[in-house]
Amino acid sequence: MSRTAPSILPAAAPALAPESPVEWPKRAVRTLSNGLRVVLAELRTFPKISAQLYFRSGNAVVARTAPGLAEMVATVARTGTASRPSRRIEEDLRRMGGGLGTHAGADSSSISANGLAEFSDEVLELMADIARNASFPEDEFERERRQRFEELKIERTTPGFLANERLRRVLFGAHAYAVVAPSEAQVAAYTREQLAEFYRVHYVPAEGLLIVVGDFSTDAMFEQVEKVFGTWKAHHPQPPAFPAPPLQTGRHVHLVHMPGTVQTQVLIGNLAINRRDPDWYRIILANAIYGGAFHSRLVLNIREQKGYTYSPRSSVNALRQYGYFTVQAAVRNQVAAATLTEMFYEMDKMRSLPVTVEELESARSYLTGVFSLGVATQDGLLGQLSTVFMDQLPDGYLETYRERIRALTADDVVLAARRHFDSANAQIVLVGDRAQIGEQAALFGDVTEYDASGAVLS
Amino acid sequence: MNAPNAQPKKLHIPVEHTTFANGLRVVASPDRSAPFVTVGVYYQIGFRLEPHGRSGFAHLFEHMMFQGSENAGKMEHIRLVNSSGGVLNGTTNYDITNYFEAVPSNALERVLWLEADRMRALKVDDENLNNQRDVVKEEVRVNVMNQPYGGFPWLDLPPVAFRNWPNAHNFYGDFVDLDAATLADVQNFFHTYYAPNNAVLLMLGDFEPAEAFALAKRHFESIPAQPLLPHADVSEPPQTEERYGEVEEKLGPLPAIAIGYTMPPRETPDWYAAGILERVLHGGRAGRVYRKLVLEEQIAVDADGSADLLDTNGPTQMVTRIFHKPEFTSEGTVAIYDEVIEELQSKGIAEDELDPVKVKFRADYYSMLEGGMGAYMPRFGLMHYLACFTLFDGDPHRVNTILDGFLAVTPRQVQEVARKYLVPSNRAVLVRRPSALGGAQ
Repeated sequence: MSRTAPSILPAAAPALAPESPVEWPKRAVRTLSNGLRVVLAELRTFPKISAQLYFRSGNAVVARTAPGLAEMVATVARTGTASRPSRRIEEDLRRMGGGLGTHAGADSSSISANGLAEFSDEVLELMADIARNASFPEDEFERERRQRFEELKIERTTPGFLANERLRRVLFGAHAYAVVAPSEAQVAAYTREQLAEFYRVHYVPAEGLLIVVGDFSTDAMFEQVEKVFGTWKAHHPQPPAFPAPPLQTGRHVHLVHMPGTVQTQVLIGNLAINRRDPDWYRIILANAIYGGAFHSRLVLNIREQKGYTYSPRSSVNALRQYGYFTVQAAVRNQVAAATLTEMFYEMDKMRSLPVTVEELESARSYLTGVFSLGVATQDGLLGQLSTVFMDQLPDGYLETYRERIRALTADDVVLAARRHFDSANAQIVLVGDRAQIGEQAALFGDVTEYDASGAVLS
Repeated sequence: MNAPNAQPKKLHIPVEHTTFANGLRVVASPDRSAPFVTVGVYYQIGFRLEPHGRSGFAHLFEHMMFQGSENAGKMEHIRLVNSSGGVLNGTTNYDITNYFEAVPSNALERVLWLEADRMRALKVDDENLNNQRDVVKEEVRVNVMNQPYGGFPWLDLPPVAFRNWPNAHNFYGDFVDLDAATLADVQNFFHTYYAPNNAVLLMLGDFEPAEAFALAKRHFESIPAQPLLPHADVSEPPQTEERYGEVEEKLGPLPAIAIGYTMPPRETPDWYAAGILERVLHGGRAGRVYRKLVLEEQIAVDADGSADLLDTNGPTQMVTRIFHKPEFTSEGTVAIYDEVIEELQSKGIAEDELDPVKVKFRADYYSMLEGGMGAYMPRFGLMHYLACFTLFDGDPHRVNTILDGFLAVTPRQVQEVARKYLVPSNRAVLVRRPSALGGAQ
């Protein structure tokens, strides 16, 4: 039904107007005498600042000795310094209109802070205090440890977490990236001395990267950075070596049994590449066409045609030493096998047939447009700068990204799919009720069943 | 703590607006700092206002708006936005449903055409409806039924807190109601609510306002207005005693409690004071509730809360969410929470605690204006508030003045509002009890 009045309006979408250039803010980059690398970028649209301080060590360096310890160090670091008890830290933050986050991933630990522009000096002072003078109060540590126990219990009931945890174990084997979360027993074994030691060794300027974006003048901000971080002295930690991830031969199904669930979490994956690989631009373009955008083949197939799922997605996950490719969807139990069939069909099609010109152009525009949206907010800019400087990407990465994506062809996409969408050896993780999906799982290879704690079921 | 190193900067957002002959309100906020535009259309219909007995229909309908319109077929909206270098989405809220895109500024006319095309006519069939019904069911499964604490408390609390169906029903929809939806219902709903005179168009970002208004006029003004039905009566009968309910938590290990107090009417003096009061109690580790329950008493592992004040236009609650350790009872946990409330009511709040709360309130408002939906949907929050101030209050310029009302709140007002509104006869308590601990009693 239409309610259109007679009109001269176009029946087809208007063409795009001429494109405007994207100008990334100038970055001022300096390395302090203690080795701290500092990146500043002014973005003065809103009167606030956003800052992030990274250290190049995270949970991977303690994966064999104390899994998850880096995350606990980050958590407890914000609960007290030599001069500020926990309550004072939180009250100071509120006085600056500020927020604070402390985290650790596999490859890094970070302190992020933001606040109103008129308090930018104080925001930097607080960050430096937490980076340099954390006191690891015993009572705060014990409280956080107990909270971590409860969080771990909740994670073990979350299908998405269980799927990701199992896939990482399968793909990375003896490598430190295999572990995404500690057990309760491992958390129980942490000591305050271990926390303080990790902090002493890894929260050091020579391993640090500070990025500040927002409403400030670069000269004044450098003065403040020099004032609060310049006198900080520490040594260089040695990076550890890890065993290589295993080579996969053939598909294997890993079924994590959750009794009574009304949906199956489907996740498949294979080792791929990280951002420093020459194929990086190729793989993200192939991923955008396959399942990395709303307008992608996977979404069109299993959501918009078949209605199996709400939010299917494929991703290229880049860690510092390795990357991996994943495809995921949460689907009703009856269509677990049908979903895997379509995921592999679309992977194999990407590997065997060239994409259409229309798909190629659409995906190139999508990637370049969305990449550039990162210039419009402080968090977006901070995120892009983090990628560039943490991964040590070449100068001009931001400015040349659009040209590099635009130069890619359909041949590049097939090449990337053949090299990095490893359909024949992809590992399959299903989280769901084995009574409902066990037979479907067996259609795709040998099945190993686990319970939510990770123990193998017979 | 020293004084700030500079004077606070007063933020001023440029706002221009007009109303077209067909009743469509149009708001523009130019910002030439980056070559992007954010465009949205907000319709004044949400799950609170959906037809009685048709739970979940407003949200199911939102999905249908991506299935095909007058000149853009299924997937065309998504393809045209993605291939222009942009992203898009839609959400269903209590009192509004929105559709929005962030694109490079050279795609402004294209997204205006797309939004006008689907305001003009929806072209969908039974296959589209069946498909999206399946998709929505999987959305409910993944977000609610198969997640620990899924739907807590936004789906759990309203049926306990409210008595009038618009406020008290399952907003995501009972599957039996979703199954009952027909294509005729879809078209009726479209003609009833998706009219230009029930909507506001927002344009933000890199454009000349005169040009943007001209483009909007070209694409939207010929869409005919519709006679509008009066909105459902969303008023609640007076509450005289505390309300209580329990729900079983099938996956998660911890008991969870939601405590909701119904807030004062929109833009009254009490409403501003309640907005600040809410931030005294909540707002992470500095909030009084977290400090008491998590840090001092160590009964809870998390405790925070919020109130959707700016973007709702009917009965709304301030809601505290508490996840407590299983060795404590929920009753005992609420009793400690009550001590926080009673202390505020009896002793009030000092100026030197309230002032930082207001500084933080201002900072959070700016952050919301700048982003509000991740780093890749610039100015979502600004768009959202401009839409709400236009549809609910008739004045988008309020985006520049609304802070003044909150920042003027005094300690005395906070105490008075706590005494008046944070009382048992104005609250509902919902306990989500894990199956492993015996489930709902």
